[in-house]
Amino acid sequence: MDKKNTLSKTLRTVGLIFWGIFALFPVYWIIITAFKQSKDIYQGPFLLPFVDFQPTIAAWTKLMGPSKDQFINALTNSILFASVSALIAVLLGSFAGYGLARYSYKYGNMKNNDLSFLIISQRIMPPIVAVIALFAIFSFIKLLDTKVGMILVYTWFNLPLTVYIITDFISRIPRDIEYAAAIDGYGKIHQIFRITLPLAMPGLTAAYLLAFFFSWNDFLLALMLTFRKASTLPIMIMNLSTTDNPQWWFISAVGIISIIPPMIAAIVLDHFIDRQLLSGGTR
Amino acid sequence: MKNIKHFLIAPTLLFFITFSLLPLLFALGLSLTNFSLGGHAKWVGLRNYIWLFKDPIFTGSFKNTVLYTLIGVTFQYWLGLILAVFVSSFKKRRLIKLMILLPFMLPPLVIGFTWRTLLDSRFGPVNALLKIFGINAINWITNPKLAFFSILVVDTWQWTPFMFLILFAGLRMLPKEPFEAAHVDGASAWHSFWDMTFPMLLPISIGAIVLRSIEAFKIFDIVFFITGGGPGNATSSLTLNGYFTALRSGNMGYGAAMSVLMLLTVAITAVVLLMALRGFLAKPKRQGEIALTAYSTESQASEGTNLG
Repeated sequence: MDKKNTLSKTLRTVGLIFWGIFALFPVYWIIITAFKQSKDIYQGPFLLPFVDFQPTIAAWTKLMGPSKDQFINALTNSILFASVSALIAVLLGSFAGYGLARYSYKYGNMKNNDLSFLIISQRIMPPIVAVIALFAIFSFIKLLDTKVGMILVYTWFNLPLTVYIITDFISRIPRDIEYAAAIDGYGKIHQIFRITLPLAMPGLTAAYLLAFFFSWNDFLLALMLTFRKASTLPIMIMNLSTTDNPQWWFISAVGIISIIPPMIAAIVLDHFIDRQLLSGGTR
Repeated sequence: MKNIKHFLIAPTLLFFITFSLLPLLFALGLSLTNFSLGGHAKWVGLRNYIWLFKDPIFTGSFKNTVLYTLIGVTFQYWLGLILAVFVSSFKKRRLIKLMILLPFMLPPLVIGFTWRTLLDSRFGPVNALLKIFGINAINWITNPKLAFFSILVVDTWQWTPFMFLILFAGLRMLPKEPFEAAHVDGASAWHSFWDMTFPMLLPISIGAIVLRSIEAFKIFDIVFFITGGGPGNATSSLTLNGYFTALRSGNMGYGAAMSVLMLLTVAITAVVLLMALRGFLAKPKRQGEIALTAYSTESQASEGTNLG
């Protein structure tokens, strides 16, 4: 049995190494591309800095020099939209999730399952259906190309996902804990905020993590609802790469910057999820 | 305090009405006109829909989108599950986890342009690698069949981490005791996976697959950036086609009809799928419970014999 365990351990390690190369090589490729210049790209693939090609920081000086204003604007917009909209989506999502997990609704013929389905169905709806109309509505109420408009859109975009995840997590938490809290004199609001939501924290964090990613990575909504003021990093990248001679080194530099915030968020949240799950209060 | 439940769900429903329902009705109305950007709108009835069924570009992108979803999600589920099981057996796994999640963190546009340069037939490292093995340059992006395959590979590269994230979280929520008991009883890792892990994880698996399929059906960004839907129409997807029709060519009415038809397809598939799954979902849950009780009674029995 020991022999078998070592064998499967080797298999696992080898499998993970192969996946690691597949997963990481493109990221390595972006990083080295950001330190290349025209001839390093169009004279064949060079992989090793200082050996194959001489790294240059031309892309980065351009980013901090001539293109600074455009870049800073796009970066702050991306951070603002993703973090604020994810927060609102998780907050509203936990209200709805708690409601759906703990109460019975009846609006007309619609009960809990129908409401859940209605909410998740927004995620099923291809965004392009709504966006054509949202364009018209937003231009009418002057929300087109504004920060408030984009935060609202991203909240809407992520709300179905957060409701779905949080409902699932809350329904796993035994009601007895709330009953016990009620006996201890906790009101309903306190039960929700002091007892149930903290216990559902791994679910809330997972929901926040995903909502942040989806807003940050969105391209379609920003493409159609922003022009300049509320443009995000993906829009900046698109504008750069649809020119006649895309400057891949410069685009890569912007790309690298756009990877960093979600990475930091992921590391922080991953740590948080790990701790919360280990001390899991539901067991 | 009785009314608190209405306050809890009201904001979510308000978002639903203003951002989904009203725009949807608007799009429905638009799809019955020939409205184009900067032009006049005229009522055309169902003519847009009749044209769509005869439009080879639309039917082609329809087929592509279905194939992207079916093939892509299958690959991503199994790879994500394998990775989740592999990683959960390691003690120091934070770095491995982050390594796996990294592709998912990248904005699709970054993924798009990176893979476009990676797969470039002249300057890309993929062909350079193949050259070492004596394989001639392959046109990953300009050959219609290969371009479709390339999009699938990139899609899998991007979305397997998503599957991994959900399944890994699911694995960690499983109770530890039955696995310890099975281990003590000498069950192999292979057996305890198929007898316990897989059935117990099935409800979460189905949730992950449904979520991912919904996303996959809307595939847009990476196709937009790697192939632009080409060569010809070989890699085009429904959203891409709708975007080009409605916003690039300005045929808002025809584009709206396209998106309504797309929505109808997804909605019908989803309703049928969810109804089928509701029955199916009950089964694995039971199986998981059966496995649980079977192992707990077994371990009790073995404890009994040990005592005896």
